[in-house]
Amino acid sequence: MIPIEVYLIFAAVLFAIGAYGVVVKNNTIVVLMCIELMLNAANINFIVFSAFTTDVLGQVFVIMSISVAAAEVAVGIAILLNAYKIKGTIEADGLASMRW
Amino acid sequence: MFVEYTWLVPLVPLLCFVIVGFFGKKMPHGGGPLVIFGALFAFVLSLLISYDFFTSDAYHNPGYVTSQIEWFSVGSFQMNVGYYIDSLACMMMLFASFISTLIFVYSIGYMHDEGAKRRRYFAQVSLFLTGMLGLAVSSNFLEMFVFWEIMGLCSYLLIGFWGFNHPKGDDASDSASSAAKKAFLVTRLGDVCLMGGMFVLLFEFGSLDYVTVFDTSMMAAVDPNMIMLGSLLIFGGVIGKSAQFPLLDWLPDAMAGPTTVSALIHAATMVKAGVYLVARCFPLFTQNPEVMLFVGVIGGITAFFAATMALNNMNIKKVLAYSTLSQLGYMFLALGAGGYMMALGMQSGDAALMAAGAIGYTAGCLHMVNHAFFKALLFLGSGSVIHATGTEDMREMGGLHSKMKITSITMLIGSLSIAGFPLFSGFWSKEIVLETAMHAGDYGVEGYLFTIMWILAIVTAFMTAFYMFRMWFMTFKGKSGHGAEHCHGESPKSMTIPLIILSVFAAALGCILLFGFDDYITIGIHAGHFQVGSGHGHGLAGWLEDIFLSMYTYLTIALVLIAIAVAYVMYNKASVNPGKFNKNGSSWLYKALTNRWWFPQLYDQIGWKLGNGVAKGVEFVDTQMIDGTVNALSSAVVGSGESLGKMQTGNVRDYAAIVMIGVVLLFVAILALFYFMGGL
Repeated sequence: MIPIEVYLIFAAVLFAIGAYGVVVKNNTIVVLMCIELMLNAANINFIVFSAFTTDVLGQVFVIMSISVAAAEVAVGIAILLNAYKIKGTIEADGLASMRW
Repeated sequence: MFVEYTWLVPLVPLLCFVIVGFFGKKMPHGGGPLVIFGALFAFVLSLLISYDFFTSDAYHNPGYVTSQIEWFSVGSFQMNVGYYIDSLACMMMLFASFISTLIFVYSIGYMHDEGAKRRRYFAQVSLFLTGMLGLAVSSNFLEMFVFWEIMGLCSYLLIGFWGFNHPKGDDASDSASSAAKKAFLVTRLGDVCLMGGMFVLLFEFGSLDYVTVFDTSMMAAVDPNMIMLGSLLIFGGVIGKSAQFPLLDWLPDAMAGPTTVSALIHAATMVKAGVYLVARCFPLFTQNPEVMLFVGVIGGITAFFAATMALNNMNIKKVLAYSTLSQLGYMFLALGAGGYMMALGMQSGDAALMAAGAIGYTAGCLHMVNHAFFKALLFLGSGSVIHATGTEDMREMGGLHSKMKITSITMLIGSLSIAGFPLFSGFWSKEIVLETAMHAGDYGVEGYLFTIMWILAIVTAFMTAFYMFRMWFMTFKGKSGHGAEHCHGESPKSMTIPLIILSVFAAALGCILLFGFDDYITIGIHAGHFQVGSGHGHGLAGWLEDIFLSMYTYLTIALVLIAIAVAYVMYNKASVNPGKFNKNGSSWLYKALTNRWWFPQLYDQIGWKLGNGVAKGVEFVDTQMIDGTVNALSSAVVGSGESLGKMQTGNVRDYAAIVMIGVVLLFVAILALFYFMGGL
């Protein structure tokens, strides 16, 4: 049986990659994808703990989390579409009008 | 039984003030008739109260009726509000309300052309009367002080009557507003002293009620030095209010107000409040002869200086203003000299000396009443002249006698009375004042000061007769000036009838009071406490003997007659040119008098040098220290906000990075915490 640490390290690496992408990437679609990565890292943690403690509550929560994430992506892409219509770009540096 | 309704006396004029103030525009004559009714009501009620009081047992023992309810209390001090009726209060109420009624009637005619502004005028004069009546019936110092301040406010408003919203904005309105400010600030200086005196009394007596403070056993228990301090501070308030030396300069400037207001201030209210306060505090002041000496000396100096300034003034109202100052000085001289003798008598237990001192009290009060009538008459008369000629300069009048017979004759009666012409009102009281002053010179170590004051007072009597008749001859006799040619005849009836009524009183009142009612204004110690009234007056024979057996009376009469003759020769026949004596206005004395002995300049200098320094210091504290603290705080907030605002780059990725760094730091911190606490 694969020990639990392997799953947790995998999830942590996935989360770190997502966080790195959110901070570094200029393309907002990539940023959205990176957010999904971070979300799924958290989902993996839920599943792993659920499997190791034989408690199905964690798996139930992951299903809900995935559905919410789907809705969130829809909203995010709609916002990006509108931003593109207004600004003509989806670069994060170009969408910096909310500042002092 | 009417005494119980004393509270209505000040309340009715107050109600008139409120009603006229709000609805005066819709009333006939700007609410004048209602205000007249209020004053008349107050007079009738005062009459009933006085009758009631003088026929009651309380008049003989204990000499007063008082009733009060609690107003508020601070710690162990309880402040009351109520009334205190004795002979003095009755007298004040009677003459103030009576003269005010006549002045208000006169105002209907005099202020006829003022249109909508009459509402303000009538509302304010009504409040003024409230102040005086309330002051007269107050039962303690604090209540008295409230009404005292109401009068201060009204004098400010009314002196500056032409200064606010004046259509032309000319020099006259400027001087009216600055005169109002001057009156307000100078009297304020005195009021601060008065307030200080009240604090001293409150500290020493634990109460401000007249009944407590004037109780002989209470006064004996208190440190005499503190009583002296309190008395002097209270007299400081009087100096401001009654315009005595050295705070005398606001009153001539106050002539910038309407003439009726001058009449009100000089005859019925305001300056009489100071005399009233000294008469009221007589028991307190007589605890120390030095205080009374001070009162008398201030009075004598004021009488003399004010009279000199009237000698060459060309403004009819200013001459009258100086004469008021001078006559007020007489009153204080009488009260001071009488009180001085009484104080010495109390110290040595000499009953005869105390009785002699009581005459001074009678003289002061009597002169106050007489003065109220003849001064109201003179001011209203001068108002009638000003109304007809449109000028206040006496050089432009002249020859008005044939055009304004009633005004001329009533003014003549007033002038005779104030000059002390034998058998007119002013004569009796002035003779007793002079006699008291002379008498006081014989006693005590500092008595010689009163002898000096008596000599000054005699000279003042001469000057009074001279300048009053100079005024009368210049106005009504001699050549017509070009102002007189504008004169369109006698003033309306609403103005002449008050003049006639007042002239009857100005001629005869002194005589009536002295020979019928002199018991009411005596002061004495009965059963261990001071009591105004129900002493034994001298009676008819006593006074005649007093006055006509003294050779000094004849000296004064002779001086008065000479003064009138000099004025006649100079200003009626013009056979002697007055310019001969003053090198046509270039002698230093003439200049000193025209410049009021440089008193205004002295005020200005003190105001500039001292006041400006103080103001600069205050300004420094205000702008540098107080504002500085506030400004520093606000600029610190603004500055830190601006620099923190730079963090808002608008770039989403920066925010995300900061959040993540924060999370990592938090995580590390919690780990470290657990590690060092040994919990991990």
